[in-house]
Amino acid sequence: MVLAIVMENLKVGYIIEDEVFWAVKGVDLVVEEGTTLCIIGESGCGKSTLASAITGILPPYALTDGKLKLFDHVVINGQLRNYNGIRGKITAYIPQNPGTSLNPFLTVEEHFYYVLRSNFKSDREFSKKIAMEILPKVNLDSSVLEKYPHELSGGMQQRVIIALALATNAQILVADEPTSFIDAHLRLQIIELLGRLQREFKKTLIVITHDLLTTSTICDYIAIMYAGKIMEVGPREKVLRNPRHPYTKMLLETTPILGVKKRLKPIPGEPPSLGKEYQACLFLDRCPYKSKECYSDPQIQVIENSHFSKCWKALEAPWL
Amino acid sequence: MVMKNPEYIIKLENVTAGYLITPPGIRSLIKTRYIVLKNINLSVNKSERIAIVGSSGSGKTTLLKVILGLLKPFSGRVFIYEYDIYRLPWRERVKILKKIGYVPQDPFKSLNPMLRVKDILREPLEAHVIRGYKESKIESKVKSIVKLVGLPEKVLEMYPEELSGGMRQRVLIARALVSEPEVLILDEPTSALDVSVQAQIINLINDIYEQFKPAILLVTHDLSIAQYIADRIIVIENKEIVEEGLIDNVLSNPQSHFMKMAVSSYKDNKNKLKLEF
Amino acid sequence: MIRRSFIILRRSLRKIRFKIGIVISLVAIFLAILAPYIVPRPQEGLGYVPRDVEARRLLPPSIEHIFGTDSLGRDLFSRVIMGTRTALLQVFIVITISFLLGLLLGAIAAYLRGLVEVLLNYFTEIFMAMPTIVIALVLRLTLGHGIHVTISSLIMTWWAWYARIAYVYARGVVELDYVILARLAGLHSLKILHRHIVPNIIQPLIAQAITDLGSVLLEAAAINFLGLGVQPGYPEWGVILYESVFYGGGVEVFTQAPWLIVFPGVFLLLVTLGFSLIGDCLREEIDPRLRRRWRLWF
Repeated sequence: MVLAIVMENLKVGYIIEDEVFWAVKGVDLVVEEGTTLCIIGESGCGKSTLASAITGILPPYALTDGKLKLFDHVVINGQLRNYNGIRGKITAYIPQNPGTSLNPFLTVEEHFYYVLRSNFKSDREFSKKIAMEILPKVNLDSSVLEKYPHELSGGMQQRVIIALALATNAQILVADEPTSFIDAHLRLQIIELLGRLQREFKKTLIVITHDLLTTSTICDYIAIMYAGKIMEVGPREKVLRNPRHPYTKMLLETTPILGVKKRLKPIPGEPPSLGKEYQACLFLDRCPYKSKECYSDPQIQVIENSHFSKCWKALEAPWL
Repeated sequence: MVMKNPEYIIKLENVTAGYLITPPGIRSLIKTRYIVLKNINLSVNKSERIAIVGSSGSGKTTLLKVILGLLKPFSGRVFIYEYDIYRLPWRERVKILKKIGYVPQDPFKSLNPMLRVKDILREPLEAHVIRGYKESKIESKVKSIVKLVGLPEKVLEMYPEELSGGMRQRVLIARALVSEPEVLILDEPTSALDVSVQAQIINLINDIYEQFKPAILLVTHDLSIAQYIADRIIVIENKEIVEEGLIDNVLSNPQSHFMKMAVSSYKDNKNKLKLEF
Repeated sequence: MIRRSFIILRRSLRKIRFKIGIVISLVAIFLAILAPYIVPRPQEGLGYVPRDVEARRLLPPSIEHIFGTDSLGRDLFSRVIMGTRTALLQVFIVITISFLLGLLLGAIAAYLRGLVEVLLNYFTEIFMAMPTIVIALVLRLTLGHGIHVTISSLIMTWWAWYARIAYVYARGVVELDYVILARLAGLHSLKILHRHIVPNIIQPLIAQAITDLGSVLLEAAAINFLGLGVQPGYPEWGVILYESVFYGGGVEVFTQAPWLIVFPGVFLLLVTLGFSLIGDCLREEIDPRLRRRWRLWF
């Protein structure tokens, strides 16, 4: 068993006008090689920041603390960041908006050429050969090589981006909301494609999303993130069937599912604003099961092998 | 204004609509037509809940513009009550459009950052002032509407930038309700919101329907949201209405490409998760 | 609106650049208002040649004449300080009128669309294409001497830039849903312009106008230097420079009497710098995309 990603109390923040806002407030997470992890959270909970920390696209005004290890490279150690030989070689990034992520002045073939040249010093012939190999894998034929991004539909653009991420031969793929710009009825196709490619190429896949239903169909593990911290981690079936954090349970009940017409139970209130520091449990304001002990920061509770929850009541679980 | 009380509130007859393409420079005065909607027939009756679904770029937003009196169709007629709105001058048209409450798509771009919430909510009532709507009456109306959509009263003194996405969407719904509309038009009301807030808004819309029974016209690309709000569904694909009917019938027996894709993807979803609710 | 302005001002005041700019501009305004009471020889400042010309011609800076004297024996300090008044007067009139004109026409063009938009845009572009100096030349030949030539020729070219900026910003605002909602609520067009469009485009425009104060100052000085605006003898920095070069015996003035060029030049530079610093900081605060996330020494 090789560990692909190891985070030890990882914190990532931004300096905005001389004030530090921590977006990721201490995350401990271990991802095995060749598994799919799905990080689910609402907007502003720091999941995109976590993605950019793994892929190495943090802006220069970002601050870090803790430790991040990718395979045997220590990437973040306290305030030091060293992404040499990481970007494109170990991690690849699948961005959120395919429409603005491709250069409108380059054809798909040239995209492959520039990506491969920067990583392997390859020439045009070689990059074309690789592109021809990979495009069928994402259900595109080689005629798209001559096309410019605006000639492709949104779904095709997303496939091209996935193909580009595969071409670099990186072991860790990080997809940041890969379906949010795609129509609801096409989302499953893209997600299943990602899952199939992950199994075929034995990659480590991190999917960042707020879409619990569609995305969770492909992943092995689910991590629920809230206000900069991971609330619950565990194997997919266990988290969905047997949620040990009230937030997970409420998130499941609030998600609309087609064909199941029940009254939605919304989570009262709004997520806490970015950058605030709390001594108490982060979910305290919105939690219907709160009691006295919840005013202290909850320790991580082990429910089962590789199923953890950050809630004092995880073991009793009154919501089940 | 005497209403003859027809059975429909909004009716579209053979509407073909689209945009005029403007070439750059001096040639911009000569325009060509680009058709987005073809032969649309549609009627919205009293207290009816309709969802218009379709993939992005299928002309849903254009249809809304036509109904709201903002885009004159190339051919066909749009009736609100018995008035053919595009035959009326803008001043008269607006008086009839008062009966339509419109909630736009993006709550982050739909509130003027320079105005307090109370001024935003007053705006639709301002035209009424001439007709003897007293200042104090406006104030109490605004206050009751704010309470209705579940916002605290202190929001009235705040500026939009101090509000979160869900609160902004509530303000927009309140603004649409202020003029006591007969039809509520919602353009992707939850696409910019988080899942937990999305459910709050869906429930709010349902509560409002229970209380006032306005007709609801929902535009969305997400069928799972449509099923919570609407009874009847209209599918737009390739510029035309391809499927229409009660939502349960359409879901159990989908005809169009869009619906087949959507239903099959969700069926897979349910099977894979094996979730029991 | 007022609340937002206060926030922007408070944020800007944290910057040293902004403080420097404010101090320079306040000193300039102060000098302009109190000029006749500060200077030792206000009459000479306004261009009157003293009787003992020969004795006082081209004296270097001393205690009696802080900035020295010019070739007609006038106290340069009095002339430069009196010139502050003219400079600021020209600049504020030009910017205020072209700002209001540009804001109005730009917003109207964006709001009304159609033929009005096309025609107003062409009208604006014609004025943008005109060189200020040529217009000043034409006005000099038709209207005669005077400060009104400088001011009107500058207004004729500057308003078009504001109209263009206002148009571009307003185009973005007009598309937004709150304008559509206001139209559907039956609000009058003038009210929509006043309530929804102008408040949302005015901030970047004001920042631009404050930055432009400096550029207008320089251009006004250039027009007057070329003799197209006010006549020689008028207390204006451009004219003072002109006189020092052409009455002082040509190019030799640079070596023989450098104070004639240095002092009006330094005043021009400082006031321009002051306005630009203020405008720059304001623009950074108003448009977050321009904001720097890291700190330099200032």
